[in-house]
Amino acid sequence: MSKAIDVDVERGQDPTVPPESYFLPATDVYETEDALVLLAEMPGVAPDGLDVTVEDNVLVIRGDPVSGAAEDGDVLLKEFEVGSFYRAFQLPADYDTEKVEASVRQGVLTLRLPKSDRLKPRRIEVKAE
Amino acid sequence: MAIRAWVPSAEPFAQLQREMNRLFDSVFGKHFGGGRLRAAYVYPATNVRETTDAYLVTSEVPGLEMDDLEVYVTRDQLTLSGMRDHGIPREGATLHRRERDSGRFSRAINLPGPVQGDATEATLTNGVLTIRIPKAEEAKPKRVQVSVEK
Repeated sequence: MSKAIDVDVERGQDPTVPPESYFLPATDVYETEDALVLLAEMPGVAPDGLDVTVEDNVLVIRGDPVSGAAEDGDVLLKEFEVGSFYRAFQLPADYDTEKVEASVRQGVLTLRLPKSDRLKPRRIEVKAE
Repeated sequence: MAIRAWVPSAEPFAQLQREMNRLFDSVFGKHFGGGRLRAAYVYPATNVRETTDAYLVTSEVPGLEMDDLEVYVTRDQLTLSGMRDHGIPREGATLHRRERDSGRFSRAINLPGPVQGDATEATLTNGVLTIRIPKAEEAKPKRVQVSVEK
């Protein structure tokens, strides 16, 4: 099974192949009753620079920053470099990868992977005999 | 142009940390498949450039909106402060991985010369804050007319 989600596929590259050098986005992952949620920081990446793919339960996120204006002037302080972000996550099975929701806001990618019904907590009725 | 040595107080440690990170990356880098984590020794990570008439500051503040940020400019200092919210529900969420920092922050950056603080322009795009602080008139380079004596 292979599915690209919310992707700009027309950039002429395979988003699942890591760039030559890249940053690992700092990522939080949490689970709620009905979904797994992933928050990844990719500052400088615009929505159309993002690729999210899921293949064989491997989730790959990739972000390429907007190529900025010419860096004029003399450097006085340099604490970060601008570059691509890339990271792959092995997903537990039983996530409904067809229904992944992806959104990005101010350089933070939010992915919501709904659990398949089989994973959701079920209340088991106990009958009195 | 005058040459100024500008050494922010955190810089020697930051330099050391960068060197250590580089060393670790060179040894353990393969475990990350060539990727690097961004070193969070100071927040927000900031670049400063100087042109003839302004200081150009860029800071990485992913997830923040302009309302979460306070930018102050005094005569020769820029202060960035605000609050980072992790966006994780306080209840009903089981954490699997926690790498993003959160909480209140404040950072002062000394500028090498006087500036016109009230003419500062700040924009926030894709989690990157860009600030342009014009230099004070007296700090801009002046062209000196050289007359030739006959």
